[in-house]
Amino acid sequence: MTPAVQPDPGQSERSDHSIAIWGAPGSGKTTFLAALNIALILKKGPWRVIGADGPSTDFLIEMTTALSQYQRFPPATGALGHYRWFLSRRSEPPRRSWRRRRKPPRAWKIGLDVLDAPGGFFRAERTGYGTDREELIDNLAASRGIVFLFDPIRESKDGDAFAYLHGVLAELAGRMLADDEFGDGMLPHYLAVCVTKFDELRVLETAEKLSLLTPDPDDPYRFPRVDDADAEELFEALSAVSAGGNADMVLPALKQFFRPERIKFFVTSSIGFYLDPLRGVFDPDDFQNLVPEATGTAGGAQNPHDPHGPRAVSGNRFRIRGQAHPINVMEPMLWLGQRLSSGDGDAGKAGG
Amino acid sequence: MTGSSRLRETLAEAVAELAGPRRLTVIEVAGEGVVAFDLHRDEAGTPRGRGRTVVHWADQKSGASSWARQAVTDAVPDGSTLIVVDSSPGGRQAREAMEWMRDVHPQVPAFVLASGLRVKTLLREVVADEPLRRSYELVVLKRHPVTARLEFTCRPLFTVEARRGDSLTFTVRCEPSDDRGTVFAVAAWQDRYPALLSVQTAKVPPGPYEVTAELERPGRVRFPSLPEFTGNDRTWAELVASVPSRLASPAGPAHLICAVEISGTGAQVRERLRRIGQVIAVMPGGPESPLRMSLIAYGAHSYQRGTAEEPVDVAAWHTSRVNTQYALERLEGRIGERGVSQGYAGAAMLEDMLAEVAGRLPAGGGERTVLLTVGECPPHPPRAHRSEILPCPRRIDWKQQVRRLEQHPGLTFGAICDQPSERADPVWSRLGRSGLAHLDAVDVRKLGAGLGLTASEAQPLPFPLIEVP
Repeated sequence: MTPAVQPDPGQSERSDHSIAIWGAPGSGKTTFLAALNIALILKKGPWRVIGADGPSTDFLIEMTTALSQYQRFPPATGALGHYRWFLSRRSEPPRRSWRRRRKPPRAWKIGLDVLDAPGGFFRAERTGYGTDREELIDNLAASRGIVFLFDPIRESKDGDAFAYLHGVLAELAGRMLADDEFGDGMLPHYLAVCVTKFDELRVLETAEKLSLLTPDPDDPYRFPRVDDADAEELFEALSAVSAGGNADMVLPALKQFFRPERIKFFVTSSIGFYLDPLRGVFDPDDFQNLVPEATGTAGGAQNPHDPHGPRAVSGNRFRIRGQAHPINVMEPMLWLGQRLSSGDGDAGKAGG
Repeated sequence: MTGSSRLRETLAEAVAELAGPRRLTVIEVAGEGVVAFDLHRDEAGTPRGRGRTVVHWADQKSGASSWARQAVTDAVPDGSTLIVVDSSPGGRQAREAMEWMRDVHPQVPAFVLASGLRVKTLLREVVADEPLRRSYELVVLKRHPVTARLEFTCRPLFTVEARRGDSLTFTVRCEPSDDRGTVFAVAAWQDRYPALLSVQTAKVPPGPYEVTAELERPGRVRFPSLPEFTGNDRTWAELVASVPSRLASPAGPAHLICAVEISGTGAQVRERLRRIGQVIAVMPGGPESPLRMSLIAYGAHSYQRGTAEEPVDVAAWHTSRVNTQYALERLEGRIGERGVSQGYAGAAMLEDMLAEVAGRLPAGGGERTVLLTVGECPPHPPRAHRSEILPCPRRIDWKQQVRRLEQHPGLTFGAICDQPSERADPVWSRLGRSGLAHLDAVDVRKLGAGLGLTASEAQPLPFPLIEVP
């Protein structure tokens, strides 16, 4: 068995690739990150998240504990956080054969330099912005994988996804494409577009109306899913009900700067659906996994799903009702990691 | 048959044929000029008409043809039935006018009236003699014997084909009215559609009255047994709006169920309980009182793993006022010790309470029942809902429970909500459909009277009342 990576709290261990998470405020970036570790644990697969430095390890522990044990949402990002993790795939022990001893498979280790920026940074005015914005663009430019979180609930109310997107995109393109380093004039990143809040009734209903829900035969809980191949269709449908009316410009804008073959859509939920322990399977009549907390209850967080929340809820703080069952949270990361480590994402050279 | 008899008969037939937009025009060539009568039926089915002199002979300088043409053209609406009558004593202008009209309208019946008779008099007699084309009824109120709810209804007066001079006598009860008196309104019915015929007001002292109604003519009903009528200066909408929803009469068995939400802040819950205490205190509650009371407390569902929730607490059921007050004190004490119900913050187990009440009420009713709900939160939906409120763990459908209670004979909904009605969840309008008060500004006496539980100090009733057998 390959020895586990031993991060040194005092020294950052640099990875080859970094992945940035991009999304409007309240789109659930922090929760998404926290859910990643839970998703990998629940999967019981070979993948693990390992902190590459002290703060990243602390963040991992803190967020995982909050989400899984205390059923609380991690506080929204208030400052630029740069977390360095490894997505590690442990090697399987070699199977013995009577003929010959097999060579153990190689362990994988994909660096995840996750830049968790508060959403406001993405919309800051170009002129007069501070160093945080500078650092953000720097990190987006340095990364080769981006997780773009599209929050359809926020979009239906505020309609500002495009506003958050296009300024940063233009600046990023100006920085990276000015000297035609990448040949075809396209940004070199792989882009995982994640339609979030799949556990929300309105998102689930839209997917159902479009007949996009598919059962996963391997899922003992029978949670509904949207196949990745159908995720773009759901994205387009949800964009059509944008409050600002310009969410339908998001996808063309992305395709204008990123190579279409490097864009993949996912329908995700950080907390997933509620699972009644007595039933043990998804209940279409009772699947909401958010519970409002009374005023003054400690530890709650602003509703990450709906800035306005259900009526009559004082304080607008929420906790997770049951166990978090993240949906499609690790898949975008794994997809990005595999793309980047497969060689064709080498420093993002055009055509690479 | 004389000329006047034939004319009367023709006019009666023409009036009888009036319907909808049809009109009748009678041109009378009289001694002083040409008089045109225009008749139609109003929306109450009563023939209405007016006559006006369209040509004065004294004003005419030109020839007959020009003024006669002008008169007929102006006075006869398109499609109107036309009858021409010559009541003049003679004279060149009248003769020329009749000749001209015979030439222009050769098919129109033309009559000659004997000297001294006038079309106006004949038309009045014809209209007054006409049998009713619609039934006439008196607008009254009736009080539900169980709920005390007041409803508009009609007391039949005259049926179709009734004629002038017909009369009948019946009994109504007049409650104290305001200073403008009691309204005696007559409606004319055609099929299922009423039209207001007359609205008269009389100042009558409270009490039962033998009322005689007499059909003076179509469109006019007299009530000779009542004091002199005065004019009515209120619109029908104002009169209807002035009728209270109930005529309080505490007599008879009744059951007041107070259901209180015990989740929220401690101050909120204490205030709700205090209001319930006030409501109970103003209820008639002596040993002989036929009013029974119940007290139910409901809190919040718990969606916390490992935390059991408190079920709906029936603290008192169908008992005396004193016992209910004891139960309220015990409830206050318990909340003081243990605190308010903890759990889901955005809704309360209102649907469980409704199901509990619906399950406890005896089938068939038998007594007036008032469900007075005091709280703020909406209920939980039975399944995932766009409100984002989590479903009731027991999947109780609150709408179904409300419908069940609405069908219970004699049940009335009243509510006291923490929020004013414009800010309250819509469910509170339904729970307080017969009386919704704001917790901060509730007049418990007025609320009790509105729910038919206590007598109101001043409850003027603008319409007469009939007893429901």
